[in-house]
Amino acid sequence: MTKNYIVENLKKQIESFKDEARAEKVGHVIEVFDGIAKISGLSDIKSSEMVSFPNGEIGVALNLEEDSVGVIILGDFTKIREGDVVKATNQILSVPVSDLQIGRVLNALGAPIDGKGAIKTDKSNPIEKVAPGVITRLSVSQAVQTGIKAIDALIPIGRGQRELIIGDRQTGKTAIAIDTILNQKGQDMICVYVSIGQKDSKLRKLQTRLEEGGAMEYTIIVSAGSSESAALSYIAPYTGVSIAEYFMDQGKDVLIIYDDLSKHAVAYREISLLLRRPPGREAFPGDVFYLHSRLLERACRRNKEYGGGSITALPIIETQSGDLSAYIPTNVISITDGQIFLETDLFYKGIRPAVNVGFSVSRVGSSAQIKAMKKVSGTLKLDLAQFRELEAFSQFGSDLDESTKNQLERGKRAVEVLKQPQYAPYATEDQVVVLYALTKGLMDDVAVDKIKLFEEGLIDYAKRNAKTFYKEVTTTKMWTDVGEQELVKTITDFKSGFNK
Amino acid sequence: MATISIKNIASAIYESSLGKSGVELDAVTKKAVNLISKKHLLSKSKELLIQLEKIVDKSEEVVRAKISSRIKIDKKTTDEIEDFIKKRYKAKNTIMEFEVDEKLLGGIKIQIGDEIIDMTLKNKIKKLQNYLITN
Repeated sequence: MTKNYIVENLKKQIESFKDEARAEKVGHVIEVFDGIAKISGLSDIKSSEMVSFPNGEIGVALNLEEDSVGVIILGDFTKIREGDVVKATNQILSVPVSDLQIGRVLNALGAPIDGKGAIKTDKSNPIEKVAPGVITRLSVSQAVQTGIKAIDALIPIGRGQRELIIGDRQTGKTAIAIDTILNQKGQDMICVYVSIGQKDSKLRKLQTRLEEGGAMEYTIIVSAGSSESAALSYIAPYTGVSIAEYFMDQGKDVLIIYDDLSKHAVAYREISLLLRRPPGREAFPGDVFYLHSRLLERACRRNKEYGGGSITALPIIETQSGDLSAYIPTNVISITDGQIFLETDLFYKGIRPAVNVGFSVSRVGSSAQIKAMKKVSGTLKLDLAQFRELEAFSQFGSDLDESTKNQLERGKRAVEVLKQPQYAPYATEDQVVVLYALTKGLMDDVAVDKIKLFEEGLIDYAKRNAKTFYKEVTTTKMWTDVGEQELVKTITDFKSGFNK
Repeated sequence: MATISIKNIASAIYESSLGKSGVELDAVTKKAVNLISKKHLLSKSKELLIQLEKIVDKSEEVVRAKISSRIKIDKKTTDEIEDFIKKRYKAKNTIMEFEVDEKLLGGIKIQIGDEIIDMTLKNKIKKLQNYLITN
């Protein structure tokens, strides 16, 4: 590259620069503290409009008062001083969106933070958007395969659904989310993982895990770390969903995970209290319900006339010692279309994923399940419910009648089958085979501690010997009598070999 | 009950003193000062005056402008600027304040209330810098 070339290039760029005199609205910083600035002037500013500070930092106007404006500062606020001139930009806060963002780690403003270089894009989406209306929507009918038996069979999630993952700390909430992302390989799904107020080390670990699993090829991570300001934590989920909407607008299916919304609510509480908005229950501001409802309402499945595509949302909420009746958990439970409830007790009993099947529901997901899965999971739910009821009795041991004993034995096996290690997703067809064997009582004479071994062997064997069944389930989503007979024979054959 | 703002007091004083003069005006002024001291707002008298000034300006259609430039502006240009401001803000009168600031490098900057029309060289260079960085 010669010197002349650089000069020529610069010349061209300078020539293409156009500037026109414009009247700009300005204000002056009255006070600045803890990421909040109070600004005088700025008379015609809109709510959630961007403002720019002299050193290039941007802020968002949240409180519009009679003669001042309360602004949250996105970024470094230590260099902003009293009396600084603040300019209104006439733009609602928006984030850059691009196909090139796939595989990258972004901050809450959509800028890459993974050191892989800048992302060139000229398109941006406003972070706040009204959710799609009724006429543009379609009800849930296609499944999101998590690869986790307990979820796919009992609490199925459909594309466009909002399913809450809720539980105490250290119960495997993020693990379920990660497993779900890993299982989306080849399912034609873009994943967005929004990390809110998480440790950077945890994020790094997660990113490495996704890279190892080849999941970063279809995943975008949006992160507002715990060392960053509350303002960034507050906008991160909206940034995530704006990026998700960009892909949905192309007719794609998107899965978005908010990890976690409890921290998001806490960040919003911090901002609200600093802006002197009146505190309500648990010191949260009055609009904390709207904070989450407008975010989650943007998850949807659109019909063909309006471009198709879907956004499935998996928000995560952390409870304090299993208290589901706290403010934020009840809010989010009522907003979402169901919840997956994880319990510490189950986790330490070795039942992992520690899903409490009784408290978990999916209000719309069952219509997304394939017919074969519905058939096997229907009786499974009943088996487990009866088992839980009878479990207390089982302590008395021998005095039980034959049918009760059978139910108990079946229940024990069901619990065993639903256990699953992390990063080991099951294909739907494999799940159907195992659950078929369980619910039809074909596993009743296998010892409980050998169930895991039996299961693994069976899948392997069935894949080779029940090809008709597999083909039927894959293509028509349901088996025929021919396939069923073949499967029963396969299972019996395998069992006789296994029990020897 | 909503709190009474400085703006409210200012407009109340303005309205009650409108069209009065001599002894009457004195009486209103005295009452106004009494009210302010009773409400413990004497410390805010500076803000109150600014608000009063704004209200008076608005009713009399006066626009206050602050014009900064690198060199002193001649009479012809001043008149042009005045015409422009009167037209743009639909004002009858203008009160213009001129300021010479060498840091602007060139051009002029007009400031009216919280609106700025910045046509200085300094601002242009800044914009060019931004443009070159982002493209």
